[in-house]
Amino acid sequence: MASIDLDKMLAKIKSTQWALSDIDWDAPGAELITEEQWPKLKEFMADLMWIEHVGARAFAALAKKAPTDTLREIYTYFHAEEQRHANAEMALMRRWGMLDGEEIPEPNVNLRIIIEWLDRFADEMPVYVLGTVVPMLEIALDGALCTFLLDTVKDPVCHQAFEKINDDESRHLGVGFTVMEMQGRSASYINMVQMMARVMDPRLILGIASYMPLLNKMRDNVIAMGLPEEKLYKAMKKFERIGGRTEEGRRNPWFQLIKHHGRWVTNRSNKIYHVPVDGLVKLTGLMPRRALPAVPSWVKELTWQPTATH
Amino acid sequence: MTESSDKKTPATSGKAAVKKAPARKKTVAKKAAKKVAAKKAAPKKAAVRKTAARRKTSARKAPAAKPVSVLIVGAGFAGLGMAIRLKQAGIEDFVILERGNAVGGTWRDNQYPGAACDIPSNLYSYSFAPNPNWSRSFSGSAEILDYIHHLVARFDLEKHIRFEKNVVDLSFDEKQGIWTATTDRNETFAGRAAVMAQGPLSNCSFPDITGIEDFQGHKIHSARWDHDYDFAGKHVAVIGTGASGIQIIPELVKVAKHVKVFQRTPGWVLPRPDFTTPDWNKALFRKLPVSQQAMRNLLYWSHESMALAVIWNSPLTRVAERLAKLHLRRQVKDRWLRRQLTPDFTIGCKRVLISNDYYPALQKDNAKLITWPIARISEKGIRTVEGIEHQVDCIVFATGFDVSHSGTPFTVKGRGGRVLGEEWKGGARAYKSINVSGFPNLFMTFGPNSGPGHNSALVYMESQLDYAVKGVKKILNEDLTLLDVKEDEQRRYNRAIQKRLAKTNWNSGCKSWYLTEDGYNATMYPGFATQYAAQMAEFDESHYETV
Repeated sequence: MASIDLDKMLAKIKSTQWALSDIDWDAPGAELITEEQWPKLKEFMADLMWIEHVGARAFAALAKKAPTDTLREIYTYFHAEEQRHANAEMALMRRWGMLDGEEIPEPNVNLRIIIEWLDRFADEMPVYVLGTVVPMLEIALDGALCTFLLDTVKDPVCHQAFEKINDDESRHLGVGFTVMEMQGRSASYINMVQMMARVMDPRLILGIASYMPLLNKMRDNVIAMGLPEEKLYKAMKKFERIGGRTEEGRRNPWFQLIKHHGRWVTNRSNKIYHVPVDGLVKLTGLMPRRALPAVPSWVKELTWQPTATH
Repeated sequence: MTESSDKKTPATSGKAAVKKAPARKKTVAKKAAKKVAAKKAAPKKAAVRKTAARRKTSARKAPAAKPVSVLIVGAGFAGLGMAIRLKQAGIEDFVILERGNAVGGTWRDNQYPGAACDIPSNLYSYSFAPNPNWSRSFSGSAEILDYIHHLVARFDLEKHIRFEKNVVDLSFDEKQGIWTATTDRNETFAGRAAVMAQGPLSNCSFPDITGIEDFQGHKIHSARWDHDYDFAGKHVAVIGTGASGIQIIPELVKVAKHVKVFQRTPGWVLPRPDFTTPDWNKALFRKLPVSQQAMRNLLYWSHESMALAVIWNSPLTRVAERLAKLHLRRQVKDRWLRRQLTPDFTIGCKRVLISNDYYPALQKDNAKLITWPIARISEKGIRTVEGIEHQVDCIVFATGFDVSHSGTPFTVKGRGGRVLGEEWKGGARAYKSINVSGFPNLFMTFGPNSGPGHNSALVYMESQLDYAVKGVKKILNEDLTLLDVKEDEQRRYNRAIQKRLAKTNWNSGCKSWYLTEDGYNATMYPGFATQYAAQMAEFDESHYETV
């Protein structure tokens, strides 16, 4: 049994808090960003920051649906911690002169669609849907992107910040996989039937339709930035490896579904999957920004400033 | 109630003959007690302490010479109400021990801006002392305190009150049948019966948040307001969004430069039908008291009906939740803010909040709701888990009271030296909320399982006071040494209460001050106020051991 004790985890989370002011954002090292790196890094950081922020909103939804008080509190902390990561990444962008005044960087269209979906439907989703998708997104995007960033950026402040972020993320994943195993403990037939009922929920179908092109779009973005595709796939395989390490984990039908989906994503020769999904990416790319609804107010909570009086 | 009727009551009883002798003794005892009290007022503190210490020893050895009929601890609503009912029953020799230097208890202490009662004043007042002059339907704490002062004057209670007597020990002498209260200055007071009226919401402290001692700014607790602090131009944080918080916030937003509200759990908020009482209405209540009684009855029954929504999970619970959600939707347009303010527990599980101005205040330009968990308090403000330090000049802690579910505010020793706090370790329990087996001649106000979630606490209080008067009269009339509830009766009562509580919203899974850490409900009464009143109306002598 690889599961962790959630009560101990909650105590650990509470005792290992850090704040933006723990980092000296004006320390030397910003000049280590090369001119060539700068424009790519700007886009990369904006995406990363938005993924953290989207993850934060998913944790907020999980907190509403958590089956126990401990898990509810853990997810409440994770919600805030993901926000902290986004704030810290914004502080890095500011350090590197990538922020235009007080402006928050614009999210790409696929992220905007995900934000909209999360805002409208995430709270209605059963805990195990988001509870399985979130670890996948974290491990694949966060994990792969962070590793890539630390490999390419020499600025010590960036390393200092990501050391803290990664410590948080490892706890997020630990809890994520434990929750996936919890779901696998009940009879799998009932799980399957329940899952099928969920899958047919039009709100979830909309979610899937937003999630699939997001993954492909992110894949395109990271490749454009010079991250080898394989690194992303390796991270996604890690999801399959850790999630499937126990019988309970493997019995969770959501794990099986996401795992198979992961395999499709990482297999470029799977035309049945990639042709329509890439088509969706193109289609969403054509969508004029004006057609998108106004961003919800939780997006405006982002800040790079370690202290606030208002 | 007239003086003559007061005096008649005991004399009409057949047991009067038995009673008269102790009554005379009491008068002598009262005089002696007065002398002692006068002596105690001597200026030199050290000398007082010495004589008090000597007196304590002698009081314990031969307390029978001095005891009053009833010792009351606390001069808040409960203690004063008890005093009035005793007077009205013809019992005049009682002493009220008050730790503060003024009456009013919780209402004296809770004078923060916006402080008010969430029960209409015509119901949150004693039916035996109606006030036709309430200025609003829901009066503020200053007016409630005025009413309490008015009670003291009208019923001539001041002479019975001993101020600055902070009781630290209450012990029973089984042979003599005497309770002795000892104060923190070692003064002792003895009584044949004792009433614990210290109130459930009388103690408060700053919460145990990491780094609270590091904060260099100003700290204020809602229940100990600092009236000298000027909020104008200040950045203020308010921690807590319960009954006190939602009253303070709208007032602070009016004066402070910026107010940050730190919320852990949002509560259900219902609109408050608040209005100024028109003059004609006051005149009507004055001229025709029966009209005020009719209003009280109307309010009483409308609150009783709310029990169906608040105490038990019924279709009416959904109606109440829908009403609260409608109130939220009407006042808050932003979807995310609405989500932050939407509770995720059944209405009634925690205290239902009543406010018209809380939601609008949160949306003012100089206010902000923060729902991130608090990581720690720092020198300059509050650090939340999203990594930001919210810097403020002052933190207001609207974090409620130290409610004891499993202890007593001071040591209470009963028969055979048993200590009440120890017996209550697993959660407080009593018989009909008022007596505890092994602690004879002791009556509690707001004892275990006496709390209402839907009606006026004072309605419950009146039933308790009248029950206590019955008990006290029995002790005095029959010259009893002990009136002790039987242990098996108490057990039977509690078993039934806990069985009923299991089905209530309070025990439906949320964390609240009604419950102990283990989820034991030692606070609330699972039923209508009418049921509680019926339970308290009957004094079943067979449930008591008498000596």
